[in-house]
Amino acid sequence: MPPRPRPVDPPTEVIARVEDDHYDDDEYYDEEPAKDELPPDSLGRKAVRGFGEALITMGLVVLLFVVYEVYVTDLLSAGKQEDATAALDSEWNSDVVTPPPADPNRQSKLNLIEGKAFAKMYIPVFGNDWKFSVVEGTTDKHLEIGPGHYKDTAQPGEAGNFSIAGHRVGKGAPFNDLDLLESCNSIVVQTQTQWFVYRVLPMSSEVSGWASNPKSKEAACAGVAPLSTTLGDAYAKTVGQEIVVPTQGEVIAPIPHQVGTTVPADKQARLLTLTTCHPRFSDKQRLIVHAIETKSYPVADGFVPPEMTEA
Amino acid sequence: MYGWIWAHLPGPLYLRVIEAVVLVLGIVALLMFVVFPWAEPKLPFNNVTTE
Repeated sequence: MPPRPRPVDPPTEVIARVEDDHYDDDEYYDEEPAKDELPPDSLGRKAVRGFGEALITMGLVVLLFVVYEVYVTDLLSAGKQEDATAALDSEWNSDVVTPPPADPNRQSKLNLIEGKAFAKMYIPVFGNDWKFSVVEGTTDKHLEIGPGHYKDTAQPGEAGNFSIAGHRVGKGAPFNDLDLLESCNSIVVQTQTQWFVYRVLPMSSEVSGWASNPKSKEAACAGVAPLSTTLGDAYAKTVGQEIVVPTQGEVIAPIPHQVGTTVPADKQARLLTLTTCHPRFSDKQRLIVHAIETKSYPVADGFVPPEMTEA
Repeated sequence: MYGWIWAHLPGPLYLRVIEAVVLVLGIVALLMFVVFPWAEPKLPFNNVTTE
């Protein structure tokens, strides 16, 4: 089959360039709408899109707030805690350490200044790295630095109720795991001259039958017993852990839950009370831990209380 | 909103991407260091003291 003759190309016709502003003309698109072109924005469409974008944006802001609350405040507080600890260390190192008085628990009062650290706190069961400098005062500003001592409650080692508040979420979250403390766990507080070892009191479920509980025979539990059996009914409500509503300030009274009664200081136990929010991420209630002082040691070079290595 | 912002960023594509990132970072920083610290005490998440 002979090849078909190619059609002769018509001579190229040169078309003069034209201004293509007619492409902007609406009529052009109306005649030939491109397939992936969206229809023109109507007001309703704009409104719906704007609303959707606003919702997405708000969601992102809430997520960011969670990140802020849980992580960023940790970073900010870590810096403040470090500064407070450094200030405390330099104070302790520069002052001439006065030798502890004959009765180690009758030491002269510490000079507490709001917002300044005055003691270090350790909870050995939370690990060696769990240590915080305790500052005086419990306002938001103070608690950003670290656990804060309720003003007007007892000082470390004093008769009465040495009470400390701490954050459970964010801001370093010192008291994040407070609910995990068990009876007889030690909480060690160090001042410039003294170590004080507090131990968590028996839980309310352990109070009856504590004497027959094998746990009470453990070395860690020496000096720990339900306070109602050793100190009488005034202490009946003082147990290792309790959950209260925020208005129950009586948990930090010298004798917890006993506000009206006045008891001479020498009849009061030496208690430590920790408070934090409960449940986590909520301020509906407060988690309270009570502990009693079982031992104290004078601070000496290179000396670390044996309780510090309990795990 | 986002489309409008994108349309109003000046410059070529790569510059617009940089501008958008800077804008986002600026807003995040504003939230983290100004808005959230202000709003946080007003929210009922983190009160740890008894009254």
